[in-house]
Amino acid sequence: MLKLDGITVCYGQIPALRRVSLTVEEGELVTLIGANGAGKTTTLRAISGLLPLTEGSITFRGQSIGGAAPRVVLGQGIAHCPEGRRVFPQLSVRENLEMGAYLRRDHAAVKSDMERLFHRFPRLQERLQQAAGTLSGGEQQMLAIARALMSRPKLVLFDEPSLGLAPNLVEQTFAIVSDIRREGTTVLMVEQNAYAALDMCDRAYLLESGQVVQHGTGQALLANESIQKAYLGA
Amino acid sequence: MAEFLQHCVNALVLGGTYALLGIGLTLIFGIMRVVNFTHGELYTFGAYMAFVLGSLLGLDFFLSLLLAATLGVALGAVIEFVLLRPLKGADIDTTMLVMIGAGIAMQASEQLTWGGVAKMVPHPFPPDPLVFGPVAVAPVRLFVLGVAVALLVAFYLLINRTRLGVAMRATFQDPDTAALMGVNKGLMYTLTFAIGSGLAAIAGALLAPIFLVYPTMGDLVSLKAFAIVILGGLGNIAGASIGGFVLAFVEEFGAGYLSSGYRDAMGFLLIIAVLILRPQGLFAAKERIG
Ligand SMILES: Nc1ncnc2c1ncn2[C@@H]1O[C@H](COP(=O)(O)OP(=O)(O)O)[C@@H](O)[C@H]1O
Ligand SMILES: [Mg+2]
Repeated sequence: MLKLDGITVCYGQIPALRRVSLTVEEGELVTLIGANGAGKTTTLRAISGLLPLTEGSITFRGQSIGGAAPRVVLGQGIAHCPEGRRVFPQLSVRENLEMGAYLRRDHAAVKSDMERLFHRFPRLQERLQQAAGTLSGGEQQMLAIARALMSRPKLVLFDEPSLGLAPNLVEQTFAIVSDIRREGTTVLMVEQNAYAALDMCDRAYLLESGQVVQHGTGQALLANESIQKAYLGA
Repeated sequence: MAEFLQHCVNALVLGGTYALLGIGLTLIFGIMRVVNFTHGELYTFGAYMAFVLGSLLGLDFFLSLLLAATLGVALGAVIEFVLLRPLKGADIDTTMLVMIGAGIAMQASEQLTWGGVAKMVPHPFPPDPLVFGPVAVAPVRLFVLGVAVALLVAFYLLINRTRLGVAMRATFQDPDTAALMGVNKGLMYTLTFAIGSGLAAIAGALLAPIFLVYPTMGDLVSLKAFAIVILGGLGNIAGASIGGFVLAFVEEFGAGYLSSGYRDAMGFLLIIAVLILRPQGLFAAKERIG
């Protein structure tokens, strides 16, 4: 479904990703793990069109999207739930959700999608008119997830959805990500919480210094000794 | 008392156009982080267009106002597209220098085209003032106030209630994330600059039949617009509208009760006072753009 073929991405002259290749098949939950600064966020931003490629190509459902503008990538069906939630702090919860559906013209369906999301995230409905910046961290993460879903994506990119959340919320967040995949949306998730990520995913890629150094099924990577040492604190 | 009320009426009329100028500049600064030195020239441009359309071409007054505003929007879009878009990512000093240059070039071309002699713009309102008890106000001034207030309300609704307005505010708060939502950042910037410019042009066109039209008329206005933006707390739309009225009241009462010779200085004394006592502006910067 999604195929990155040898992409290199630079900040100025300095490459942050070097010839990264990865694939995500339809219906899969794939995670990208790695230490801080390994290039996980950069990978997602390159897929979304926020960063230009220095080399390599990206295709999504057979279409080339390397170098396309973010709105084109979104239009193809890839939503991006960014690192640090990035809700629009001074927009209301409702306006944030509307921004998620910005490209859609089927207003009636947008409304019913919003209603459906309220079943999953009742807190958001209670706070509909409140400025998003006044929500708690957990609520902001729920809003960021709901906002990403408002575009009816085929593939969602999650960048460290558990970052900075209390342990019970971390579990809840991972449960939501699993639910989203179960309902038929493909997921590519970046996580520093390697154990949880490997445990819930189908396949995983390990990034080190901007390069893919390992990939395989989640269980295989969990069983890998060097990964256990470096990332699972075993 | 009568004198006091009269000053209030005068200040309201002036304040309406100041508010238009202020929110235009605030919008551009708030979303684009561009210190727009062409704002005063857009105001001048609007006034000259009112002159060309209303006086030279003899078009209907109201139609010429509408066209002047439209041309201001178009000129703003051109400036953004030709000057600012290629500067994307340049530092603020570079942009500022380019905008100062553009402002000078615009004023010089007005001088070249129209000469230094001031022009008058006719209007269809009766010259006799309307008298309400102790105060008198010329009908044309009342019209100016009415249009300014209507535009302020329309602008408020545009920013707060429309899909475009929400996208503009989102772009201001977080450009990258707005892009992830599918917003075309480039288009947002062009529209923002065009709308801000259109507000300056309509302010100029509205005041043209009250004041005279001449090439350097935008200089002081430009300074005042910056003063209003600072008063309002850089980037705060509601603050800038109120700031416009505050400046007008300070000028009007300063000129009326202290010294009419210092009318234009009053506003700047106010700014100095505000910058010393409350450098974040009169209104909290928290509620920026909406
Ligand atoms: N805006 C930026 N400008 C310059 N370098 C950056 C920028 N963002 C990230 N980097 C660098 O790129 C590398 C990868 O960063 P990132 O993708 O954010 O890592 P991760 O998400 O895995 O923590 C790091 O070395 C980081 O310092
Ligand atoms: Mg990251």
